[in-house]
Amino acid sequence: MTTPVEIVKKDEESAAEHDLCMMTRRRFLMTGSATVVSVSTISLSLFPGSSVHAEVVNYPRKHIARLSELKDDEPVDFSYPDNGAHSSAMLVKMGGAKAGGAIGPQSDVVAFSYVCTHQGGPLQGQYKAVDNHRVLGQCPMHLSTFDLTRHGIVASGQAYESLPQVLLELDGDDIYAVGIMGLLYGRNQNLIKS
Amino acid sequence: MSKEYTPRDSVPLPPKNAEKLTTCCDYCIVACGYNVYRWPTSAADGGPKAGQNAFGEDFPTAMLKSWVAPTQHNVVMHKGKPHNVVIIPDRESKVVNIGGDSSIRGGTIAQKCFNPDTPTRDRLTQPLIRINGTLQPVSWELALDVAAEVGKHVIKEHGANAYSVKQFSYQFVENTYAVSKFAKRHIRTASFTFHDTPSDVTSTPGFRDAGFDNFAPSYKDWGDADVLMICGTDPYETKTMIFTQFIRPAIEKGMKTIWLNPRETAGLAYAKSRGALHIQLYPGTDTVVLGAISRVILEKGWEDKEWIDKWVNNMWESSSGFGQGTRNTPWQWRTTWGKFQTDGVYGKKGYKQWLLSQKEHEPKAAAVLAGIPVEQIYQAAEWLTGGGKGERPKASFGIEKGFYWSNNTGNTNAISSIATICGAGGRPGQMVGRFGGHQRGGTGGGKYPRNKSPEKVPGRRRRALDTDRWLVSGHTRLAHVVGTTWIQAMCGSEGLQDKFDELVTNNPHQVRSKDKASIIGTLKKRADSGGMVVLDHDIYLRNPIGTKYADIVFPAATWGEEDFVRSNGERRIRLYSKFYDAPGEARPDWWIIAQLGKRMGFDGFDWKDSNEVCEESSRFSRGNRKAYHMIKVAAHKEGKTLHQKLREMGTEGIQGPTFYNYATGELHGTVRLHDTTLTEADLQRRGEYVGANMLNKKTTHFNTQTGRINIQKHPWSLFSDYWSWMSPKDDELWHTNGRINEVWQSGFDDMERRPYIAQRWPENFVEIHPDDAKARGIESGDWVLMHSDRVPYHVHTIKGVGGDDFQFSELMKNGHIKLDKGAAKAVAMVTPAVKKGVMYSYFLSPGKGQASNALQGRVVDNISGNYNFKMGVSKVKKIGESKYKKEFVHMSFAPRNIV
Repeated sequence: MTTPVEIVKKDEESAAEHDLCMMTRRRFLMTGSATVVSVSTISLSLFPGSSVHAEVVNYPRKHIARLSELKDDEPVDFSYPDNGAHSSAMLVKMGGAKAGGAIGPQSDVVAFSYVCTHQGGPLQGQYKAVDNHRVLGQCPMHLSTFDLTRHGIVASGQAYESLPQVLLELDGDDIYAVGIMGLLYGRNQNLIKS
Repeated sequence: MSKEYTPRDSVPLPPKNAEKLTTCCDYCIVACGYNVYRWPTSAADGGPKAGQNAFGEDFPTAMLKSWVAPTQHNVVMHKGKPHNVVIIPDRESKVVNIGGDSSIRGGTIAQKCFNPDTPTRDRLTQPLIRINGTLQPVSWELALDVAAEVGKHVIKEHGANAYSVKQFSYQFVENTYAVSKFAKRHIRTASFTFHDTPSDVTSTPGFRDAGFDNFAPSYKDWGDADVLMICGTDPYETKTMIFTQFIRPAIEKGMKTIWLNPRETAGLAYAKSRGALHIQLYPGTDTVVLGAISRVILEKGWEDKEWIDKWVNNMWESSSGFGQGTRNTPWQWRTTWGKFQTDGVYGKKGYKQWLLSQKEHEPKAAAVLAGIPVEQIYQAAEWLTGGGKGERPKASFGIEKGFYWSNNTGNTNAISSIATICGAGGRPGQMVGRFGGHQRGGTGGGKYPRNKSPEKVPGRRRRALDTDRWLVSGHTRLAHVVGTTWIQAMCGSEGLQDKFDELVTNNPHQVRSKDKASIIGTLKKRADSGGMVVLDHDIYLRNPIGTKYADIVFPAATWGEEDFVRSNGERRIRLYSKFYDAPGEARPDWWIIAQLGKRMGFDGFDWKDSNEVCEESSRFSRGNRKAYHMIKVAAHKEGKTLHQKLREMGTEGIQGPTFYNYATGELHGTVRLHDTTLTEADLQRRGEYVGANMLNKKTTHFNTQTGRINIQKHPWSLFSDYWSWMSPKDDELWHTNGRINEVWQSGFDDMERRPYIAQRWPENFVEIHPDDAKARGIESGDWVLMHSDRVPYHVHTIKGVGGDDFQFSELMKNGHIKLDKGAAKAVAMVTPAVKKGVMYSYFLSPGKGQASNALQGRVVDNISGNYNFKMGVSKVKKIGESKYKKEFVHMSFAPRNIV
């Protein structure tokens, strides 16, 4: 938790917002454990000015991949926040397609749940790169697709929540999952109390 | 709570002892079944163990099992105390949304409930009167007294037709019955119509005249076909469950699909990945394509001769009285000129001979006109019939607005004829009908006073009054608007709005005092001076009808706030339970109308509750497709009310028309209308010959005098002058518009107030083909202005004498058509999913901008009186870059047809 988050300077507005996001999140994470212990959730502004909020706290920090080993548009599977039901997720470097909440020098590395928020359909194998668009879907159950460049918002279909986005941190070459934005299908809370 | 969507990572579960009520989704025609779980916020939430929650399931639950998305939870007031509600699709459902499937609209319906901590906080909660230009809260008594006094005055001084009623046709039978009883039985105004048409006319003239009910098929029929033709819609986008529960599983099992659509969305793309035929035609050309397919079928002899022989009328049969008088029927005058009527399929005056004589229906000519490969016409003909080889496939035909609102009469005639020669209409899996738009919640409380309509078409027939033209002509002195926007829901809407400005806002007689007598006096003077007074019932203040024009606003109670009854697109009738308190002083529309009716001296408005309204209305449903009268008979036999009896039937309900077997005490529904496979024993079993049961021809036959089908011509010439005039000139493109999955029959409360939907669609969009975009320097995410100075509108209420008097070119020649300007702003989405030369946008506007309906011609179909809403042209230019172009939060430019 002590390695500084990598900041990549970009002149586009979007990239600036992205950096702000990660900075804000980082600050929160660095101070959070000590100061907000009595608060169970906190609303975190990822994008000042554009107001995407998420409730992320108390998630495990899990090493999931190395940036240098990711290949463009080839998803890597992992489990998060635990190994229980509906924890399967994917990490992908989207070949330079910039995305909200992404990390990496090109702001193109994102991670999402593999479980469709409509009725729990499996999205494994459904990653699509078409022109500059990156979607997950169609879900084999009811054909929903999710836009991975826009925090997993429904591009088309029947799901009534965005696909939960796994929040990432880049620590040197190491990629960590540090939280989830949105409720995983099938769960009443992402963090299952043991 | 923010107006922005905030993903949450936990959700409360209903405890084991949560109350459970049934309802259905409030939005699209399909009306999925939903359960409402309710428990006080002061009580403990449920836990993740099966024994701790109302679902009896361990969390995390498995795929397709009970789950609560955070958008499915809300907090509402029930009997004055805060309660949690969780509203999720009924997992036990064996009909419609089988197993608890749901759309994005119904899936988020809990967000619809009034909760001042959410963007629903601007619900109308008190009656309002516009005083000194500002809508101010007043008592119900004042609002109702003023409205009734001014209403009485307008009727007395200016005649009933000066009192115009524009109401929703669907928002529950209790309300539609009350409003139409008030308007048609008591006021008896011919200036009456529904939300989606300028005059009270049939939506699908071709179906009506052929003898087909719009909603004859059951949902199962769509899936039981071997080949399905889908016209002017993608049922995945709109009518979601029909697609995911019935059509898609059938495609997986090998059903062929043929789509007529200028645009490709997710369902169509999926079907294409399974071999579907996509006929991507220009707007308005369906008639010639269908005619060409029919021509190929008849030339090759692939038609269903046995069916035709048994079920198609010859000339004598179709002439032998239409059952509604020999003269004064819509069908009769339509055929007066010999333009539609045939001597059946064969012979000199038969449909086949006519088709062969029409050059537009020659396959090559049709393909050129429609901009499609000619091979598709032959391919479709072969698929629909089996091409004369082997067993004939079961073909069904489903249409929706993109089709019947582009050449209303021509297209609906053509689809009826092709369906008939393919043997569809009256057998399982071989049906023809609409997929549907809004739910079916209309029960007529009176007869439309057609003879009071000053509008006459050639022949002796009067046509229902065009309320828009009537208003534009300055004859409307009081506009009573119930749950619709009127203006932007119509075509050429800018011109219509200008007229509202002139008649309402710019009239010198504006209310300046809170004194009742003074208000009444001022509004009477407004009406007497040629101006117009506006009454508006709604749940939110709509722009501009509420915000700018309404003199009096009545706050309405709606879904979940009152027990209501309605049916879906397969005539399935169900109770929509009240489960929370209506906000503030909001009251259901039937109650508002009852108070007005009593004040205006009308009898029969003394209902105590919505069940009483429903019970009174039931006998007026007899004989129609959702006849629910026999449910009341059964209920009373069992000592219950109609609402109680329906509540017992939960989300399954019963399909109308309903029958009661007095001997066995059983209620029976109707799977499909025109069911030629029903036997005498089936009818006996349903008890159809006894008591108040109403044996209706359409149960086993078709809606014509003989009970057989009228096969009709569909001359392109009735429409071709409009189409040619409309066709893009210079750098214009076709502009057609319609609905999107995320906002489908739900725009009235979710677009601005459901954070997730607002994030997805903060603004209107327009799909532009990459070639068209490139030529104009437009990229995805750019702000574009669609603009036209060629928006035609028909200005005068006229009496037709000559046969062609309502033909567009004649109207033009005689000075009845004027040209208006129209413009609408949208965010460009450049995609090959839309046909080159055609643009597609959402028909209204999610933001505060002008509805894209502003660009569509305000000229009604010359036969039916409906607008051809889908016909428009427009230029388009870039006017800047939207913020959505570079950000990662709102909208999405990912094409909807990625499979």
